[in-house]
Amino acid sequence: MIWFEWFEFAIMQRALIACILAGFLMGLIGVFVVRMRLSAIGYSMSHGAFAGAALGVATATNPLATGLVFASVTALLIGPIADKARLHADTITSIVFPLNMALAFVFLTLAPEVGLSSQVANVLWGSIISMTNSDLVFLVTLFAGTLALVYFVWKELFAIMFNRKLAEADGINTKPFIYMIIFLAGVVVTFSLKLVGGLLIYALLFNPASTVLQFSENMRKVIVYSPLVGMITTVTGLLVSLFFDLPVGSCIVIVSTIVFAFALLLSPKRRRKEVQQHEEK
Amino acid sequence: MSEDAIIKLEGVSTVYEGESRPAVKDVSLTIKRNELVYIVGPNASGKTTLLETINGLLPPFKGKVTVFGLDIQKKGQKIRCQIGYVPQDFMVKPGEPYKAFDVVLMGRYGHIGFLQHPTEQDKQAALDAMKLIGIEDLADRPMGKLSGGQQQKVMLARALAKKPKILLLDEPFSNLDPDSRGQIPVLVTKLHREQDLTTLIVTHDIHHMLDSCSRVIVVSDGRVTFDGTPENALPLVENHPHTTSLEGHHH
Repeated sequence: MIWFEWFEFAIMQRALIACILAGFLMGLIGVFVVRMRLSAIGYSMSHGAFAGAALGVATATNPLATGLVFASVTALLIGPIADKARLHADTITSIVFPLNMALAFVFLTLAPEVGLSSQVANVLWGSIISMTNSDLVFLVTLFAGTLALVYFVWKELFAIMFNRKLAEADGINTKPFIYMIIFLAGVVVTFSLKLVGGLLIYALLFNPASTVLQFSENMRKVIVYSPLVGMITTVTGLLVSLFFDLPVGSCIVIVSTIVFAFALLLSPKRRRKEVQQHEEK
Repeated sequence: MSEDAIIKLEGVSTVYEGESRPAVKDVSLTIKRNELVYIVGPNASGKTTLLETINGLLPPFKGKVTVFGLDIQKKGQKIRCQIGYVPQDFMVKPGEPYKAFDVVLMGRYGHIGFLQHPTEQDKQAALDAMKLIGIEDLADRPMGKLSGGQQQKVMLARALAKKPKILLLDEPFSNLDPDSRGQIPVLVTKLHREQDLTTLIVTHDIHHMLDSCSRVIVVSDGRVTFDGTPENALPLVENHPHTTSLEGHHH
């Protein structure tokens, strides 16, 4: 069978649509996560989704639902705790990331037929072919809801991404918008878990935005191109995995990292900086 | 609060973010409508903390701040829509994806309702503010490519775009080139006079004290150590090793 003939099957059509939607959403939310300096929180939270999904496997409930609960709880706790305790982002990551990983492995150990269970493997590495029609309905709803939300509160998000303190000084109550992005990132990560699994999901949130930010000096272009890069890398990763018969999640992350590496090499911003440093010497 | 009092601090003490020691200690002040006040003092004396306590960005742990007769901690969001604020040494890194016009337009955001987008009038107000400062040609330039002085002017235009009733300027002339150092203070004086703007200027360099400055507040170690006319402030500031002398510069 030639690789593209795979898409004659409904299962692969669903996989392709999921890649497009999840890649787009991760690229979009990633811009806010990166620009609002929420990377550490996003990192902790995506592993919260992983731990939740593991609990779902252990308790034979829907991993998506438990993943969503864990990601949401992590998101809702981390934001206010970081604010109140004035903790550095690195401190939050250092504590919550290992805790979530420890919980995930405890839950997976408790799962029946541990280690061999295909569900355990799905949570760890992702399994795009297990996408169901209801998963797709969730993703489409999330896609539409996220786009509408970003459109309507764009000016607040735009100002906070520029500088949170100045946004406050201009009369914007920034906290609800930051919590909204953290929560949204948690939901998007959870619904994208089947794509690459809990161990690699974070790369998908971070890489597209970081790639586009190497080139553009206009935030409006960043917010358009980052989801497109997310979408293209996930679809390319899927095609590469089919072509070489490799795991989908790993291929997506490898493709997105290669794209980021090229962006780093070709970035006009970075070259300007190097020229500047050279001239200063 | 008397009718003329626009800002009032009563026994206010504030800790700067990330610090444990109070940077502002037991300060009581009243600023009247249309006053132009210089807040001077050495580095790390609490000037910036005082300014950020006034606009409610830093909550005092003791005392009360009232602006327009309203408690800033309760009505901060509403009050800050009327306060133009230029922070100290604000620099955008090279390569940051924001155009100068977009940054100025952000000054209007507090006036635009929730779930609403900027209107043509908002965009015009932002452009007018840029024209007023003389930087309309920078509108499409990325912030990160502008010089320190140009960025400072963009921040001033952002503060003016909201058509504020109070201007809080934290070292606003520090990065300006020699030409702008002459123009911008004149413009601030003009705005203060023509638009009845209550203006507070924080500085440790009082070389460019404005003609219309009628009051100087000296802050030292978080406390107000002097509050009076520029002439009377002169000996105090002169004797301080970290504050530039007023002598020969006050018009």
